[in-house]
Amino acid sequence: MRKINLHLGDFTEKSNVKLVPRYYGEALCRLAERNEKIVALCADLAPPTETDLFRDRYPDRFFMMGIAEANMVGVASGMARMGDVPFVHSFCVFLTRRAYDQVAMQVAYPKSNVKLIGFLPGLTTLLGVSHQAIDDIALMRALPNMCVIEPCGPEQIDSAVNAAMDYDGPVYLRLNRAETELSSDTKIKKLDIGKVEITRKGDDLVIFACGIMLRKAESAAQILSESGIETTVVNVHTIKPIDDQKICELVSHCGATITAENHSIIGGLGDAVSKALNEKNISIAVNRVGIKDSFAEGGSTPYLLNKYGLETQDIVNKALKVLKQNIKVSYT
Amino acid sequence: MILFRHMDSEKIYLLGKKALAIRKHVVQMVARHGRGYVQQGLGAADLFTVLFFDELRLKIEDPDWPYRDRLILSTAHNSAVFYAVLAEKGLIPLDSLESYCVDGSDLEINVSERLGTMVEATCGSLGQGMSVAIGMGISARRKKISSRFYVILGDGELQEGQTWEAIMSAATWKLSNLCLVVDCNGMQVDGDVEKVMMMEPLGEKFEAFGWNVLTAEGNDINHLLSSFKEAKNCENQPSVILAKTLVGKGVPFLEGQLSHNLIFPADAAKRALEALE
Repeated sequence: MRKINLHLGDFTEKSNVKLVPRYYGEALCRLAERNEKIVALCADLAPPTETDLFRDRYPDRFFMMGIAEANMVGVASGMARMGDVPFVHSFCVFLTRRAYDQVAMQVAYPKSNVKLIGFLPGLTTLLGVSHQAIDDIALMRALPNMCVIEPCGPEQIDSAVNAAMDYDGPVYLRLNRAETELSSDTKIKKLDIGKVEITRKGDDLVIFACGIMLRKAESAAQILSESGIETTVVNVHTIKPIDDQKICELVSHCGATITAENHSIIGGLGDAVSKALNEKNISIAVNRVGIKDSFAEGGSTPYLLNKYGLETQDIVNKALKVLKQNIKVSYT
Repeated sequence: MILFRHMDSEKIYLLGKKALAIRKHVVQMVARHGRGYVQQGLGAADLFTVLFFDELRLKIEDPDWPYRDRLILSTAHNSAVFYAVLAEKGLIPLDSLESYCVDGSDLEINVSERLGTMVEATCGSLGQGMSVAIGMGISARRKKISSRFYVILGDGELQEGQTWEAIMSAATWKLSNLCLVVDCNGMQVDGDVEKVMMMEPLGEKFEAFGWNVLTAEGNDINHLLSSFKEAKNCENQPSVILAKTLVGKGVPFLEGQLSHNLIFPADAAKRALEALE
């Protein structure tokens, strides 16, 4: 019988939350120490959004808004209009689908300085379709004035939080919580809004990835390299505004193009890259690895990523198909 | 005491004159387009007049004054009466009213903050205004700013679930700097509010949610003045004034006619203006 990898800390306070590292919660507290304007709002999800740390350290700046996301977003806009910088927390799916009108009218339209912090991106939750944000990038990208950021992992969360704070206007931050501590030699990554990060260079193929898919793209590039295919891997942490200039340069250089995202292939990173290329008259197929226009289901993340085609081997297979290479590769 | 009474009656007389001028603007503004939000504008003219000419602390010469009171018009389509009161107050030029709903004008049919600070939030997608005011109220209290926060919303608008989320949270935060005014005109797009959805007993509902509930005759200036005063004296609770207004008030042939977006040809407008003289 398959062992399901339960993460009780996602929805219970009294579980092993202390065992789960809280890179976001710590980053927000560090920032709040320097800036009194920062306030935090949460819709009954303090531990899984790591805002219990903020609540305990800055109780007069923490606002528990109950299970009422629409009201929470409006309240945050009111606070921003009074000069505060509200960080608003929930799961990605509830900040986007449930409060979309409020985000559009009270955050995006007036360019309110509100930071929307969503957790459980894509298939990173076992809680099923109700909790799996497979369209949040699409929804947030479509809103004028909205900046959309997805750091590649815990090593980029601190920079993402600081970048969101420094950005004067609405930001949607799509975060995946770390399950284990980073090793002590992990290099902390910078994040410059609107500038991609190239993590590997090669001439045969370029893979644009965001969030958890970056590591999978890097693994795929390593496997391909062993077969003589050299890949450029790009961390597109800012999906909007997207770095169209660099994306066009890299595609012009490499030719074959793949995008990899923990999101529907409709409206997300793949579409954003396509749009960038299209507007510069670069005519090339953008081959998307992501969730193919379908809802998923409840299950462990490894199971879901495998079933819905978001694994390293899916990227490798896509690359071989794009390059018309009939090579057998081994996965170790 | 006699002197106070005299001052009050003088104030009520002047506010009544102002409300009449505002009603005339509403008729003229909508008449240019042959159709619009006449009924709710005429109905709420006294409410807007009392708010802008007696209740709100504003600085005409400095609309961005950080310590001002804020009014959020959650029923953003009730725009004619809102622009008319801004113009009478001197916050926008009187002659700008002629550009109401003209393409390219800032005086859009649904009030938008591109007009300026006096539009404290862009609503119109109903149910949103109170949440914004709550955020402002919480923030002001944290910074020890004594501003007060007013929201006008409609009785039909209370059908939006978000309003009840907001009602719960305002009571939780004991926001005594918040004053909600429900324009109880009994009208929504599809007719009689109570027939569309069972709303009553509204007062008891607000009380059960922990609010200070006041009921006012929304076309009685004296009653509105005393209700706002009472709301201001309430501590540890948000206040709601359930203001019963009559749609079309002031124009006998329009009074009580439930029409959300009234067809208003030139001859009807002419007769309405004559009735207001």
